[in-house]
Amino acid sequence: MERGLRVFVRLTDRFNRRVGRIMMYGIFVMMGILLWSSISKTFFLPSLWTLEMAQFAMVAYYILGGPYSIQMGSNVRMDLLYGDWSESRKAWFDAVTVLFLMFYLGILLWGGIGSTAYSLGHFGTEPFAFFGNLIKGFVTGGIDGANEVLGRPERSPTAWRPYLWPIKCIMVLGIFLMLLQSLSELAKDILRIRGADIPREAI
Amino acid sequence: MSYELIAILMFSTMMLMLMTGQRVFGAIGFVAVIAALLLWGDRGGYDLGFSAAMKLMKWYPLLTLPMFIFMGYVLSESKIADDLYKMFHVWMGGVHGGLAIGTIGLMVLISAMNGLSVAGMAIGATIALPELLKRGYDKRMVTGVIQAGSSLGILVPPSVVLVLYAMIARQPVGQLWLAGVVPGLMMAAMFIIYIWARCRLNPELGPVLPPEERNIPLSEKLALLRAGVLPLVIFAAMMIPFVNGWTSLVESSAIGALAAFLAAVLKGRMTREVFEVSVRSTLGISCMFMWIILAALAFGAVFDGLGAVKAIENLFTEKMHLSPWMILILMQLSFIVMGTFLDDTAMLVIVAPLYVPLVQALGFDLIWYGILYTITTQIAYMTPPFGYNLFLMRAMAPPEIGLRDIYASITPFVAVMVVALVVVMIFPEIALWLPDLVYNK
Amino acid sequence: QSTIKWRMQTYAGPALAEHVVKPAIDTFNKIAGDRMQIELFFADQLVPTGELFQAMQRGTIDAVQSDDDSMASPTEVTVFGGYFPFGSRYSLDVPVLFNQYGLDKIWKEEYAKVGVQHISAGSWDPCHFATKDPINSLKDLEGKRVFTFPTAGRFLSQFGVVPVTLPWEDIEVAVQTGELDGIAWSGITEDYTVGWADVTNYFLTNNISGAWIGHFFANQGRWDELPEDLKELLKVCMEQSHYYRQWWYWGGEASLRVNGDKLKLTTIPDAEWQTVEDAAVKFWDEIAAESETKAKIVEIFRKYNSDMNKAGRPYRYT
Ligand code: NA
Ligand code: NA
Repeated sequence: MERGLRVFVRLTDRFNRRVGRIMMYGIFVMMGILLWSSISKTFFLPSLWTLEMAQFAMVAYYILGGPYSIQMGSNVRMDLLYGDWSESRKAWFDAVTVLFLMFYLGILLWGGIGSTAYSLGHFGTEPFAFFGNLIKGFVTGGIDGANEVLGRPERSPTAWRPYLWPIKCIMVLGIFLMLLQSLSELAKDILRIRGADIPREAI
Repeated sequence: MSYELIAILMFSTMMLMLMTGQRVFGAIGFVAVIAALLLWGDRGGYDLGFSAAMKLMKWYPLLTLPMFIFMGYVLSESKIADDLYKMFHVWMGGVHGGLAIGTIGLMVLISAMNGLSVAGMAIGATIALPELLKRGYDKRMVTGVIQAGSSLGILVPPSVVLVLYAMIARQPVGQLWLAGVVPGLMMAAMFIIYIWARCRLNPELGPVLPPEERNIPLSEKLALLRAGVLPLVIFAAMMIPFVNGWTSLVESSAIGALAAFLAAVLKGRMTREVFEVSVRSTLGISCMFMWIILAALAFGAVFDGLGAVKAIENLFTEKMHLSPWMILILMQLSFIVMGTFLDDTAMLVIVAPLYVPLVQALGFDLIWYGILYTITTQIAYMTPPFGYNLFLMRAMAPPEIGLRDIYASITPFVAVMVVALVVVMIFPEIALWLPDLVYNK
Repeated sequence: QSTIKWRMQTYAGPALAEHVVKPAIDTFNKIAGDRMQIELFFADQLVPTGELFQAMQRGTIDAVQSDDDSMASPTEVTVFGGYFPFGSRYSLDVPVLFNQYGLDKIWKEEYAKVGVQHISAGSWDPCHFATKDPINSLKDLEGKRVFTFPTAGRFLSQFGVVPVTLPWEDIEVAVQTGELDGIAWSGITEDYTVGWADVTNYFLTNNISGAWIGHFFANQGRWDELPEDLKELLKVCMEQSHYYRQWWYWGGEASLRVNGDKLKLTTIPDAEWQTVEDAAVKFWDEIAAESETKAKIVEIFRKYNSDMNKAGRPYRYT
């Protein structure tokens, strides 16, 4: 079991770290969009898409970067009591409290999947069945088959009117990765309880 | 169960969960979604968490957050503040406690270049602190100086806290920022007076710099003043287009970040390592803030859904028959108490939506209240058990400074801040004079 | 028997809701008493306005007051909600279009398809520009970042207007932070009521539509569960709210133009404004080409406006 946990931790952390390392350059993407916005506004006509695009970039930045920030130990804790505890006590508490975090992320994911199904034109309350049909449609009928399942896709209520499913898919993926990362944190806490020495922060 | 009871239950559960030392956003988010599920269940209770993410996405001023954080890291990591520190060092060295006073000056300039206290803490702890200790300054005093001085970052514009407040209170950011200028400078002056007076009475707390270190030719002394130009340039690059309406707030924050970045490149300080640390830390800190705001928005929506605002308003005005000023003072006190426990972002997103409408209903000016709120937050930053500046100090301080020193160091400065808070409460003009002058409200 | 509790969210903020929805809900609650209570929430309070439709469909909120356009309804009728350019001239046009020209039936059918109960349509104010800088000609519109309805924005962008959509509650601040140069969202009453008149300086008397079209909706399941008499009471109170708005805006628009001191009035000459009206004719064709339902609705708008023109004064003066 210990071996299995270690493999899971290594794979998850490595993948999420890689995603986070890419996302961290998102700061320049946001900066670039906003600078283009100032330039176009000053010298040409202002662009329709800049503010919304910057908002999409920001969401991708913090949601996909989230797991890496957990690895780096960036999330604040109230350490009135916690700060003075021994490593094993911390691990015990963390192993329990991370379940709350996972519950929160699970609900977030659930809502996200529903919202993404909606953004692809599913107006009912069965997002999972919808995605099931979507996949089934794709497998049996290719793109056309999937298209038949899709309804009217949601567009942002702005003049630019971008489709919202891409950003919602990114959000769902990011929340899923957060959930994976908290599982990895749980695994690390279990390993710590069993005596392993695993650093609490890794960059 | 009455809604008031549910609200109290939610709040106390969250406090209890925070005590376990778990990640703050996890605790807040958990209480939010579990309350939504219990209250609304299959009637969409499970959507509320994600719908907060969509709300956050549309909250455009949040784009300034990563920009200001990046700016702060570039300034502190690239050590372009070193020259500034040298300037204060030489110019103020002859005074009792002069280096500590100079550090406050440094902090004011750093505050004018970024919107949080992180940069000031990092610069203070890495540049000023070792120097001050080497010169025999009292460790408790200088630890306090750096924590208090860096907290000015959220009061002196630009300020991220005031941006978030502006969004919640629906008040103009420009006016709020201007309202922070005079109180910020006033508070800095009060710190300086305190340091000077204490060092006059107790010279060993802050010894005068030996003459050979400060007797350098006037021409060199003047040359050092040039270091002060850089912050002015960065501040101007960001603020002038904004105040003139050429660029919007979020665009200006991007210009500020670019200006800081270019300054570091031009000074040859943007090494590979500085770049790496700045970019990486910006992601870490931004994610921390964003996830807390995300969770707190869901919590706030449930709280709102319960009608907690009306309940509190009712409690204060109808049941307790308190006068507006009494309520205001009680609110500030409760803010300070909650601030010791709660993270400031969470406090802003959860508590402010309850209090701000009340403040407005009582007939107070919301710009002025924004400044009161910010000073309270500054205090919360420094008071145990939960305070960003405390955490950062603990992480950055050299080994000879213990936890006890850090806790003890803040007492006089918190006292000064409370005095400043009271002064601004009694004389609202201190905050409102400048915005009134500029916007002719 | 326990009290039925509903949550309703409006797209209006608290200051505006004080007039346009709160009186009706208060009345409903007073009459329904222990049988049913509606809790009213304002713009973006429980869910962001962009998510309103979905939240209502799922039951996070039970009822909604909004136009189709702002809440991005996934229906064929969405472009006509809010302000359909030059679709109506007076606020009374809207109830006539719905009750006598057949729009009500189409709306009810379209919303039934997506599982939402359309209760009733009402009219609000005309759509004018309120801006920081004066607008005296079409050229002055170029490059202005303006908060407006999605459809109106789509229409106005041909005149160089850059439409920006932000949460309604953030507009006042956005004008001050420079995110916006102005607002094309309402008449002058709303500008004064919600504080936009404090952050803008000029009001353009030309409008791109004489009346907003908005509705009350409910989650289908919740609506079906209601006893008949409460359904009737709800409808009556909503009608009352439509009526309140008819006189509140009609009187308010005139009074603030004449007596208001926060906004200076400017006007684009009729001959020049004709360009915009002509563009609307093309825009209608464009919309009609998008689907059969849309073509049917555009036809109704055409018929109605031509009838009104034929009827002459006081229905139409040109
Ligand atoms: Na600042
Ligand atoms: Na604190």
